[in-house]
Amino acid sequence: MRALWPIASNTLREQWRSRAYQVALLFAGVMLYLSLLLGMLAVDQELRALLDFGLGFIETLALAAAVFGAANQLLREMETKVVYLVLSRPLSRGSYLLGRVLGLALSIALAVLAMSALHLSILFFKGWAWHGDYALAVFGILLKLLIAVSLTTLLALSTTSPLSALTMTGILWTLGHFIQELNFLARRLGESTASWPLLALLRLLPNLELLNFRDRIALPEALGTSSPVLFGLIYSLAYSAACLLLAQALIRRKDL
Amino acid sequence: MGETLGRPSHSPHEGRHSGACAPLAALSYQGVSKVYVRSHLGRTTRRIGLEDLTLELAPGETLGLLGLNGSGKTTTLKLALGLLAPSSGELRVFGHLPDSRESHRAVGYLPELPYFYPYLSPREALRFFGRLSGIPSAELGARCAAVLEQTGLRPHAERRMAEFSKGMLQRVGLAQAMLHEPRLLLLDEPASGLDPLAITEFRAVLSRLQKEGKSLVLCSHSISEVERLCHRVAILAQGRLVRTLEQRDWSAAPGRLEELFVETVRPSSEGAWR
Repeated sequence: MRALWPIASNTLREQWRSRAYQVALLFAGVMLYLSLLLGMLAVDQELRALLDFGLGFIETLALAAAVFGAANQLLREMETKVVYLVLSRPLSRGSYLLGRVLGLALSIALAVLAMSALHLSILFFKGWAWHGDYALAVFGILLKLLIAVSLTTLLALSTTSPLSALTMTGILWTLGHFIQELNFLARRLGESTASWPLLALLRLLPNLELLNFRDRIALPEALGTSSPVLFGLIYSLAYSAACLLLAQALIRRKDL
Repeated sequence: MGETLGRPSHSPHEGRHSGACAPLAALSYQGVSKVYVRSHLGRTTRRIGLEDLTLELAPGETLGLLGLNGSGKTTTLKLALGLLAPSSGELRVFGHLPDSRESHRAVGYLPELPYFYPYLSPREALRFFGRLSGIPSAELGARCAAVLEQTGLRPHAERRMAEFSKGMLQRVGLAQAMLHEPRLLLLDEPASGLDPLAITEFRAVLSRLQKEGKSLVLCSHSISEVERLCHRVAILAQGRLVRTLEQRDWSAAPGRLEELFVETVRPSSEGAWR
């Protein structure tokens, strides 16, 4: 674990210096500015539109950076053989993997915080009054991104193809936002054998609906009075840990 | 840095069976085989990378690994680093399993055509690898400066490696391999891409490492380099160790090692390796 931070900090530096990351941040700025224009079109719902579009852009752009980074970083290091120089040092493959994931997750978190600061400045400029649920919404995005990074890392190591990992993450991410609908479908199918694959899929899919804290800004009553944040945090950490444990098992057995 | 290497005056390998208590081998392969198994669309293919290799490297010895492309040289090195798991047999590095931390602390590795993070400078890369090797922060700066000096990289220490030529990257590769002062260095095509002056400097560095008692494995297509530097040579063909040669076998006549190598790797009329 001693090697975790050097690997993570190097990953962070790699991300900050990458042209793709810088362009994504610039693009995020442009998109947030566009949300200002879209807000004007919404007339009396301007602030609501600004909030929704802004948070949506932040999540989508950060997701793109997260899955692209996670799908490529390990496989690229294996292809370029940099990994030989790293793993011939006294550190475990597990530490290397965790360091890489931690570094990527931190760089994405910093990008989300930077985009949120920009978004907030636009909102304040338009007269929005601060509400604590905004912070919760951003926290929910960060938890979703942690799951995305862990899941994509696992898929990249299983498929050894960045494109396959990207595609599969995209599908699982989308389905993860329709868990209630999939559960409803499974109930409709009853106990027939046709429901088995769906039930199996439901057990594997990340339940991303749990982490849609930004719904709270629009519909505070939707989340009730329970503590969805704590549950969401525990769920995200557990799901990510499971993905990373499987990924560790894969990388330990891998011939490089 | 301009010093040229003379032939080693002794062969550590010669002393290994003298009856005295033998020191722990720097590197020991006992019946090691590696079979690459690839599965694609339900079809599994197997390719032998290395077959039943039994070979030892004594502490302080320099061993040359010679062979044609695909003969198993790089596989032999990667097994010693724990980057590949052997399919059968036993492998030890100073008595430790190759994927153990103890083994990795003792080994420095220069891969063929090393690639580095292009956004880093050599000094940043060395600091990164030094931290991974567990070099204390207080010593890291001095160690980096020393290897940068030894490999002639000091004037380029702050340049981004994206701008570096193949030969410059090779120097950085050698620097990172020596950084943690390993007892065993595994060098895969170390002179590849180096200009004549850099080759002379490289020989001087290896000569110093030999004098310090380091064990070296030199994997190369450059027979003249191997001839100059090695105490012993192992020739691989199609994943098998087909011949080992002691320095006395080639030292009598310049170019003799090349003759022996060609004679060994050229298939006989029966198609078998001699």
